[in-house]
Amino acid sequence: MAGIRLSNINKTFPGNVTVIDGLDLEIKDREFVILVGPSGCGKSTTLRMIAGLESVTSGDLYIGDRRVNDIAPKDRDIAMVFQSYALYPHMSVYDNLAFGLKLRKVPKEEIDKKVREAAKMLDIEKYLERKPRALSGGQRQRVALGRAMVRSPQVFLLDEPLSNLDAKLRGEMRTSISRLHKTLGVTFVYVTHDQVEAMTMADRIVVMKDGVIQQYDTPKNLYHYPANTFVAGFIGSPRMNLFKAQVQRTQNKIILKAGGSSFEISSKNKALNEYAGKAVLVGIRPEDIHAEEFYMGLENTLKLKADIDLAEMMGAELYVYFDFAGERMIARVPSRMNVESSRTLDVAFDLNKAHFFDAETTKRI
Amino acid sequence: MIKKYVGKYFPIFLLPTLIAFFVSFVAPFVIGMYLSFCEFTTVSNARFVGLENYVKVFSSSTDFLNALWFTVKFTVVSVIAVNVLAFLLALILTRPMKGTNAFRTGFFMPNLIGGIVLGYIWQIIINGVLGYFGVDITYAAKYGFWGLVILTCWQQIGYMMIIYIAGIQNVPGDMLEAADIDGATYFQKLRYIILPTVSSSVAICTFLTLTNSFKLFDQNLALTGGAPGKETAMLALDIYKTFYNRVGYEGVGQAKAVIFFIIVALIALVQQYVTRTREDL
Amino acid sequence: MEKRTKRIDIIFYIILTLFAVIFIAPVFIVLMNSFKGQFYITDSPFSLPDATTFVGLSNYVSGLRKTGFLSAFLYSLFITVSSVAVIVFFTSMSAWYISRVKNAFTRTLYFAFIFSMIVPFQMVMFSMSKIANAMRLDNPIGIIFIYLGFGAGLSVFLFSGFVSGIPKEVEEAAMIDGATPVQMYFRVVFPMMKPIAITVAILNSMWIWNDYLLPYLVIGNKYKTIPIAVQYLQGGYGSRDMGALMAMLVLSIIPVVIFYLTCQKYIIKGVVAGAVKG
Repeated sequence: MAGIRLSNINKTFPGNVTVIDGLDLEIKDREFVILVGPSGCGKSTTLRMIAGLESVTSGDLYIGDRRVNDIAPKDRDIAMVFQSYALYPHMSVYDNLAFGLKLRKVPKEEIDKKVREAAKMLDIEKYLERKPRALSGGQRQRVALGRAMVRSPQVFLLDEPLSNLDAKLRGEMRTSISRLHKTLGVTFVYVTHDQVEAMTMADRIVVMKDGVIQQYDTPKNLYHYPANTFVAGFIGSPRMNLFKAQVQRTQNKIILKAGGSSFEISSKNKALNEYAGKAVLVGIRPEDIHAEEFYMGLENTLKLKADIDLAEMMGAELYVYFDFAGERMIARVPSRMNVESSRTLDVAFDLNKAHFFDAETTKRI
Repeated sequence: MIKKYVGKYFPIFLLPTLIAFFVSFVAPFVIGMYLSFCEFTTVSNARFVGLENYVKVFSSSTDFLNALWFTVKFTVVSVIAVNVLAFLLALILTRPMKGTNAFRTGFFMPNLIGGIVLGYIWQIIINGVLGYFGVDITYAAKYGFWGLVILTCWQQIGYMMIIYIAGIQNVPGDMLEAADIDGATYFQKLRYIILPTVSSSVAICTFLTLTNSFKLFDQNLALTGGAPGKETAMLALDIYKTFYNRVGYEGVGQAKAVIFFIIVALIALVQQYVTRTREDL
Repeated sequence: MEKRTKRIDIIFYIILTLFAVIFIAPVFIVLMNSFKGQFYITDSPFSLPDATTFVGLSNYVSGLRKTGFLSAFLYSLFITVSSVAVIVFFTSMSAWYISRVKNAFTRTLYFAFIFSMIVPFQMVMFSMSKIANAMRLDNPIGIIFIYLGFGAGLSVFLFSGFVSGIPKEVEEAAMIDGATPVQMYFRVVFPMMKPIAITVAILNSMWIWNDYLLPYLVIGNKYKTIPIAVQYLQGGYGSRDMGALMAMLVLSIIPVVIFYLTCQKYIIKGVVAGAVKG
């Protein structure tokens, strides 16, 4: 039983570079948590601290009930899968899997049983006698997973395990890793910069930036209730549209002004009241900007004529690019529509689905 | 963490090499420096005499300056000869021809034969040829000089050729094809494509032949032993003879060695500087 | 076009063959003379042995007797093989330590190793041979230790260059798998260093096998390696036995040629790798 708890963790590298600043994080036993963020946000460092490959500058790190700050990686009951796979190049696949167990002086028969079990599960039985260099990227990836599995650790740590694979294989491996998590029933901590991986696999996602957690929640909540503009922009593809608007109160109505048009917001959103006379950031996802002709006349919309800059054919839908309020907007419209570049299109923003953020703190209102 | 994890194992990983390095290099180097300011016959009876040895290097005889001049002349000639010939052979042997491998194997072989053995092999041959004129290699310094040049060529051409071949094989094939399409002649390709790409090999080979020639000892000892007189003694041999053939001159020998070291270090520094600035370009 | 290339190729073959003859001839001449009576060697060194000049193996017999070549061969073999083994074993460990544990001390040490590569042997020969004497290292075992110290510079340099190209992740994986630093090094790191270890071994073998001055100064009084034996045979100018010298030259070349022909691929690769890094 091993949850993980990071309490007020700091990490400073030589030369006084602080990469992690007062991090608090609690991962439940058997949970699949994904750390996501742009490169340099400290997600890998966090994972490596949990693994014991980086020391913790200050703060407490618990795996299960044990404080593991000063415990060697091998005694933390963890296994790790590296981005580069880090297989032992001179050992056969079998020996790669068996190495950790051999070092622990596990009896030979037991090693053999475990190795074959893992190999079977990962469908690499045929390659057990091969050297890593004779394997494809996907096969190496599975060997790396197998090496972690045979040790039956309480915690799996995975550092961008799929980033060296091509798109198709990545899709397949996503499902196998999810399945693996269910079968093994242990805690997974996974680092990636790819929000699609995070959204599809995680129970909960940690969005990080500059060594600070921006939001920690389920994929669904992250998508629908982003805590700030960074999370809003990072999660979802194409990214959420953001533009600045001025808030005005007239009688009981809240009016927003942006890009030469003004629109009314339902008074449900009481918090906006306090922003009267100030600016806010309005966020709206591309799928919430509709083409007028397909829009069934819901209330609370912002309608405008968009000068289309570019229309990208994606198959089922079109990505339509246009400018509004000094920002570039993307709308997703059905691809059977006759939309071409350099023409105008009547669009409607579904303001019921709009997100509002403080213009200064960028926090959700 | 690897750093911390491995760091404690200093005694296992580093200590054996460190002790050997200290005993056979660091300590002798420091003591050698000190002894160059002393008069001594063994380390234990050293008596500090200041710069006297250094003065004696130049005042007691012209041996050292002669050796220096001879070494410089020899180095210049052999560096040019070895590199030009090695490069030409490399050019020929990188052409699509049959049997190039056998030639490469043959040309490289002399490099593995030690300096002493090499010296005697060539002494016999050169004396055999000179015998027809009734003289031998110790008759005049010019025979010894050219003997050393020929020997050095024979020993080092194969080695340098291998490095040049590796360099030439690094010239991208599509670059040469593009030049063919542009209508470049063979010499234009050589001048504008091959030479610039192998310039690092040229630098490596020049430096290697330079230091090899400058520090030459075994071959010198075996081929001429410095004869006639001390006329064909290069720096290393002159230092050796000062040390071991003249009692009371150990300090002078050590002072010569220090000067020799400084010259070699300067060459290495210049080479470092040249390759650095080239990389910046 | 086709015809011209062929004609050029013929010219090149002639040039190459000419060179090949020049390169092989000296060895051949020595071989030829080793079967001739010693007075014929100086008189007519370039003629093949005939009925009068041919002496069979008598030069070899007298050479072996005069120089103790057999023991020289064994000393050379023992010193070279053990020194190279010791150098590869210890300097690869040190290079790995220096590359992975970076601090002021290891950085200074690395610089000292590089520095030792440019110092000419004459600078240290006197004091080194005196220290070796005083420490009782003046025997075929002790000299291995001296060679470790002298070989450290180039070897550490080559090994470190290689280690910095190995991703640290593999070692981290071993650390998580539960390897102690010693296990990590011997079971994971060293096997990965095999290519550079071969280069280091070959460069050091070529050096130590042929080295004359260092063994002469350190153990030359009591123990003669091949170069020392050959030099010893030379004796004073004029009084030497040319026949025996020829035979010994042939005998000292044979092991080198065998070594070269069996490991040719590695030697040439090693030389290129060593030169390019150095």
